[in-house]
Amino acid sequence: MARRYLLVKVVSERPLSSEQFGTALIGSVRRCFGEVGLSRIDPKLVRFDPNQSEAIVACKRDGASELQAAIALISEASEVSIVPLVLRVSGTIKGLGKRKPR
Amino acid sequence: MPKFVDLHVLPRVEDEKSCRQMADLLRLAGYSTIGLTIPTGLLRERISFLRHIFQEAGIETALRVDLSSGSRMELLRLLRRFRNSYDIIGVKCSNPGVATVACRDRRVDVVFFDPRNHKVRFNHSLANLLRGAFEFNLLSTLLRETNGIFSTITKQAVIAREHKVKVVLSSGSNVPGMVRSPSQIAALGSTIGLSKEQSAEGVSSTPRSIITRNSSLRSSEYIEEGVRVVLPKAR
Repeated sequence: MARRYLLVKVVSERPLSSEQFGTALIGSVRRCFGEVGLSRIDPKLVRFDPNQSEAIVACKRDGASELQAAIALISEASEVSIVPLVLRVSGTIKGLGKRKPR
Repeated sequence: MPKFVDLHVLPRVEDEKSCRQMADLLRLAGYSTIGLTIPTGLLRERISFLRHIFQEAGIETALRVDLSSGSRMELLRLLRRFRNSYDIIGVKCSNPGVATVACRDRRVDVVFFDPRNHKVRFNHSLANLLRGAFEFNLLSTLLRETNGIFSTITKQAVIAREHKVKVVLSSGSNVPGMVRSPSQIAALGSTIGLSKEQSAEGVSSTPRSIITRNSSLRSSEYIEEGVRVVLPKAR
């Protein structure tokens, strides 16, 4: 099954753990699209770098747009205000690294 | 690479730190231009200072004002007063009379509705009248509450799609925490029922065309529709 990988910059007041962000991510997808949507999108937190505040999230190819919408509606994780910005979407993890600096 | 525009950013004008944070986040998110929405009575020095903050972060600004009135006559008076002072005029439609005038008047660039206001809704007749663009303030409405709001926005999106009206997708953010990337805003547009093309254009070409058109209208060369001053080329 083809997948899409999203590079997400998480701007937060306090450092977050991968569990905290992962819980917020799954919660947002479930709240927006329900259990059926969650299984259709199948989001997975592949990598989370607390120092850079960057995460790589994988999902099924057809659910990339819905996952971006769900990520947009995350405003806090474990009572910490966060700003999740999807910076790039790619078909491979390697492709995410090719992001040109803005 | 397309240039992305968030046409509705409402920074807290008195809070410099918040404005700087917002500017940095907007740049990180990938925007090149924003519609800087300010209150009408703000001093010129303060406006220049705000624009300078965003320009320092590498973001172009277009001045925008949101007009909200209780009657159609008042709206017409406000349009006469403010049209020439701002790059973008947005009208918040609070009742059916105001909505009709705002949709029909060519001086209005964007119209938007409060989904919590049950007195007036975007409907087929307003979509037929609309000359400007219809704006969805996605983050400011969906981040606060989703109960019932989502279905209202979805109905508006279905009408906008059916009548092929110009759609602008904005964040409507007034704090840095509401800033999201253009691809996220476009994805939210697709989720509420807009076509992928409408969503993509709603964060790029549609708002950019509004800014370009208005800047040419406000230039000193513009006389009236179809007439402008053309200076002879220097030999």
